[in-house]
Amino acid sequence: MARLATDVGGTFTDLVSYDEVSGEVKIAKTLTTQEDQSIGVMDSIHQACTMEGLDPSAVEFFVHGGTTVINAITERKGVKTALVTTEGFRDVLEIARGNRPDLYNLRTRTPAPFVPRHLRFEIPERMDWQGNVLTPLDEEKLVAIAESCRRLDVKAIAIVFLHSYVNPDHENRCVEVLSELLPDVTVSPSNRISRQWREFERSNTTVLNAYVQPIIRQYFANLSNSLAKENINCTYYAMQSNGGVATFDQATDVPLSLVESGPSGGVAGAVRIGRELGADDLLYFDVGGTTAKCSLIKSGQPKLNPEYKLEWSRRSPGYPVQIPVVDIVEIGSGGGSIAWLDDDNGLHVGPSSAGAMPGPACYKRGGTEPTVTDAKLVLGILDPDSFAKGQMTLDVDAAKQAFEKMAARLNISITEAAAAVVQIAEADMINALKLISVQRGHDPRDLDLVASGGAGPMLAASIGRELSVKSTVIPIYPGIFSAWGMLAAMPRVDLQRTHFESMSPDTMERLKSIFATLITEAVEYFSCGSKDKLDLVYQVDVRYHGQEHSVLTRIDLDWDLGTFLNAFHEAHETAYSFKIDDASVEITNVHLQAQLHTSVVSIAPVSREGRSFERASKGRREVYFSEDGGWHDCDILDRDFLPVGELRDGPALIEEATTTTLVLPGQKFEMTGTGLLKISEK
Amino acid sequence: MSQHQQSRLVDDLDVVTAEIISGKLLALVDEMAIIMAKTSMSPVIYEVLDFACGICTSQGELVAQSNGITLFTGTFGSQVAAVAKQYEGDIAPGDIFITNDPFNGGTHSCDMAVIRPIFHGDRIIAYAITVAHWLDVGGAVPGSLPTNANSCFQEGLSLSLIRIGRNGELLPDMVRIIEQNVRLPDMAIGDLMAQLATTRVAENGVRETLDKYGLEAVENVFTHIITSGEKKSRAVITDLPDGEYFATEVIDGDGIVDTAIPVQVKITIRNDEMIADFTGSAPAAAGPINCGYTALSSAVRTVFKALVGPQEPSNEGWFRPLKIVVPDGTVFSANKPSPTGWYYEGSVHASELVWKALANLKKDRFSAGSYTSLSVLYITGKDKNGNLFVHIEPQHGGWGASADADGANALIALTDGDTYNYSIELLEAKFPLRVKKYCLNTEGGAGAGRQRGGFGLIREYEILSDDAEIYCSLSRNTTPPWGVENGREGSCNFVEVENAKNGAVSRLHRVPHWDIKNRDRVRVITGGGGGWGDPKERKTEDVMRDILDDLINPEQAVDQYGVALDNDDAFQTDK
Repeated sequence: MARLATDVGGTFTDLVSYDEVSGEVKIAKTLTTQEDQSIGVMDSIHQACTMEGLDPSAVEFFVHGGTTVINAITERKGVKTALVTTEGFRDVLEIARGNRPDLYNLRTRTPAPFVPRHLRFEIPERMDWQGNVLTPLDEEKLVAIAESCRRLDVKAIAIVFLHSYVNPDHENRCVEVLSELLPDVTVSPSNRISRQWREFERSNTTVLNAYVQPIIRQYFANLSNSLAKENINCTYYAMQSNGGVATFDQATDVPLSLVESGPSGGVAGAVRIGRELGADDLLYFDVGGTTAKCSLIKSGQPKLNPEYKLEWSRRSPGYPVQIPVVDIVEIGSGGGSIAWLDDDNGLHVGPSSAGAMPGPACYKRGGTEPTVTDAKLVLGILDPDSFAKGQMTLDVDAAKQAFEKMAARLNISITEAAAAVVQIAEADMINALKLISVQRGHDPRDLDLVASGGAGPMLAASIGRELSVKSTVIPIYPGIFSAWGMLAAMPRVDLQRTHFESMSPDTMERLKSIFATLITEAVEYFSCGSKDKLDLVYQVDVRYHGQEHSVLTRIDLDWDLGTFLNAFHEAHETAYSFKIDDASVEITNVHLQAQLHTSVVSIAPVSREGRSFERASKGRREVYFSEDGGWHDCDILDRDFLPVGELRDGPALIEEATTTTLVLPGQKFEMTGTGLLKISEK
Repeated sequence: MSQHQQSRLVDDLDVVTAEIISGKLLALVDEMAIIMAKTSMSPVIYEVLDFACGICTSQGELVAQSNGITLFTGTFGSQVAAVAKQYEGDIAPGDIFITNDPFNGGTHSCDMAVIRPIFHGDRIIAYAITVAHWLDVGGAVPGSLPTNANSCFQEGLSLSLIRIGRNGELLPDMVRIIEQNVRLPDMAIGDLMAQLATTRVAENGVRETLDKYGLEAVENVFTHIITSGEKKSRAVITDLPDGEYFATEVIDGDGIVDTAIPVQVKITIRNDEMIADFTGSAPAAAGPINCGYTALSSAVRTVFKALVGPQEPSNEGWFRPLKIVVPDGTVFSANKPSPTGWYYEGSVHASELVWKALANLKKDRFSAGSYTSLSVLYITGKDKNGNLFVHIEPQHGGWGASADADGANALIALTDGDTYNYSIELLEAKFPLRVKKYCLNTEGGAGAGRQRGGFGLIREYEILSDDAEIYCSLSRNTTPPWGVENGREGSCNFVEVENAKNGAVSRLHRVPHWDIKNRDRVRVITGGGGGWGDPKERKTEDVMRDILDDLINPEQAVDQYGVALDNDDAFQTDK
């Protein structure tokens, strides 16, 4: 039996399969086919079958991560979508929150809504905040709205009524009526996607979900057909943004949950690596060509971002969505990021990137701007001849030339300029890692750092040192880690309810009953018959009376109120450096995280035979270390032949097919029994 | 510095250290803002983000600031300088200061600054500051801002340059003074705690950087950041044609009387410097739309930054080429005891004067006139349990068109910034209010033009309390936003109250007190922005799209744009 994952990225589609019996791993890589990503996925499966001997009929777990959803949104290629909402509020979607983060730009504006004004329809109906009906739903008026939608060729309708998170009856009735009148149109009510308050955020979530739903339905239908034809007949799973997987059918109901599918695969992989290390608390760090992504894993669970926004930037409020997305801080600093000087000789790295085309200057494909990859080559960290399994030769002179202008303007040497660029890229990444750790109350000295991506392992040791982490770990398959991570993800659903109450003696009883309802829903969602099949995590958003933002507090249902309060005070102090012991406390939101018990990918022990430092040795190279300002003669080792459990001192370069790991002077490293590379300070 | 001895110095500082420390400072002010928003007790702070955070040098020069409120960030330097001067030679590590004095570096009594000196050894190396709008600081009315105040003594507790903590701990006597003088002490102390936590974070962050890079490097970076801003700013001014540029405006009433208050500016650009001279503006008004010099300076700086470098991190250096001239005692330079509670409804006109004078000079940085007024409505009263509630909400409105784009709909006014509207669902769960309508104000319209202004909005409340009142003070209630290059004027801001019993509708704009009974409706209606260019030059397809979206009707298309709809639903134009 085998587990199979395919991860569609911007340029390549990665495939990883793992044979549960033999421990054998098969890898394939094909070009991504943007128009219909399922073609590239099938290409990768064909490649794995013909080149690697994959047996499709042995596949018992298939998981897929793709960018169909995010691409449809980014490129504005979703379907024509209408919105039906409470009378008086059709402009809520357009007004958004009205904020101007671009403070001093007198020409700024709110991003355009995904449904234009003439496709936003109002209907008489109204609930109060406790869910009591103030105005009944005017079903007659729905007939006219359906007629307009038909005439305007609308393909999907989002329904959002005020306070539907408390009482969804009107929304659900509206779905019944519209679905009957418009059988070919996708109709999605907000309560199926989010049961949280804040009407703009919920509207935007529902609209974006409707906007991509017909597309993802078609996509999964195509992919399922193709997989069945290839004799892959297990349940098909999609990687969700919450770090877990869902069946294609479940994902089609809430396609927006796939929005960060790929990055979330990496986070799931980091959780799995953490378990292997016996470390529950981790920093995860992935550096690709254009960005670096950082996440925190606490108590073996990825942290979710309660305020996830699409297309957000410091200058744009973006599009907030209320779906569970792992908390990923992304910065525009990766291997292909371009280094540049401002008018005042200030040195910056990114956010513009040379990407895959033209790529860094050393690729010799027409790029002339200096990038982080060029700097790594100049400093001796990259080998010009063995890049990408030797399929490509890097041009050191072209890389040096790219730094000439910068070095001249700063009156420093080319080497120093390259070293400066690497240090600044690292500093940006350190700020991002601090943002998700120190600044949220977690001390990096208690964390291990897991680094992946083509450029991550080159930067990891130095960043780990700066943050004083316990150890820096380079997982297996760092270059295709998202795909590998998907093999480690479990079926998962996050059920949230806005529930507003001041803490009182009956609070625990009430919470128990709310969670009981959510557990029933989770059991239904997985069709698993009983909650015994589920791993459940109970969390509650709690705050001091008068505050707006709350602290997510993990609880046990058999706690008494005092224990609950103590846990909250402690969580508040961790996050914000103070607590107010005698202040009154209230609950705003209840969150059940449910994972279905399944076996996850195991990590096979590496064979101890045929491994030694002598066998691994590939010679030596001069590498520039900016910390002590000089060139060091440095061992080059092949990761595939490193001996197990033997410590060795840095500096060293450890090469493998998809990346190079740099170990600094003053550090030591070893290969663990399951093939992880572990670096720590001497 | 030892790590980077090999790389040579730029401005006596190596580039890597400069960039790394600058990055750390920006990350630090961001972190301050996160802590402030998440821990505050008051809805004005957490929901509308009515606050800002920054780090200043020992001389009170701004080095880094968070996104927040434009109006506060221009005051950081003067608030810090005022405290430093008051306590010269008497500041110890662990001291914490608080101040809200409009005549000593502040804005109005509700805007509370908390300042913490950061020491290196026994020397002050920097100050952390956070300014936040407290919901109530006592005074004549809940919310502390009587719209008809005739002296600052009606505007609540004055904490002018007060030491509120020593050794990192609050002084209980001082805390008690606050608790006994405000209407919502829990909220006030909660916000004070949040401000303390925020400045503590800054102190720890700066200390960490000092430990790592040393005093000399950090001070050099401070200097580098500021001189770098100054250079960029001077370069922009140098590129503008030398000359004198004028603008006049009126402020529509002061809260006590509706009389128009004339104000004016003369901008002089010479080489790399700019002077904004407000001589000739009216004397201080009897009512509270006056501002002190600090608030004027902040208002002018906002627009100056929009001109010289809107998207670059702000610091003191950017403002060195700017000089502000104003005679003492005008509506923009009021003295104690002039009331200043609604200062931002006055000082925003100083911003607009500079904006209007320069709009045509640098088209890629400016738009036509906006709805201007924060249009804040206070609703206070007793909820069903007899508890006091105070709901303060600024309203978003229409912005002016620019040379190449229509104006923004429903965006927050210039004086605020990263300021959110209030979620209806949250609001209804918290206050005895029901929102009946929240939509674009198409009836009021926006300024026509080749590019038209953006639309304001209508927010309608039903009040569910028999014991409530409202008060408000909205500018641009009579004089609409200005257009540019024959673009038409926008529309005005006002409040309507509809009596539930008899259906009578009253139109208000600056009102100190209006009784509200159960089920009365209150509508805040904000104006549309000014247009840019001749409306007859507007593209037919843009006019058609506005009709399709119900933003204008076919009659307006004919009247304003000369575009007519024919019988076959196709469009014709008489151009």
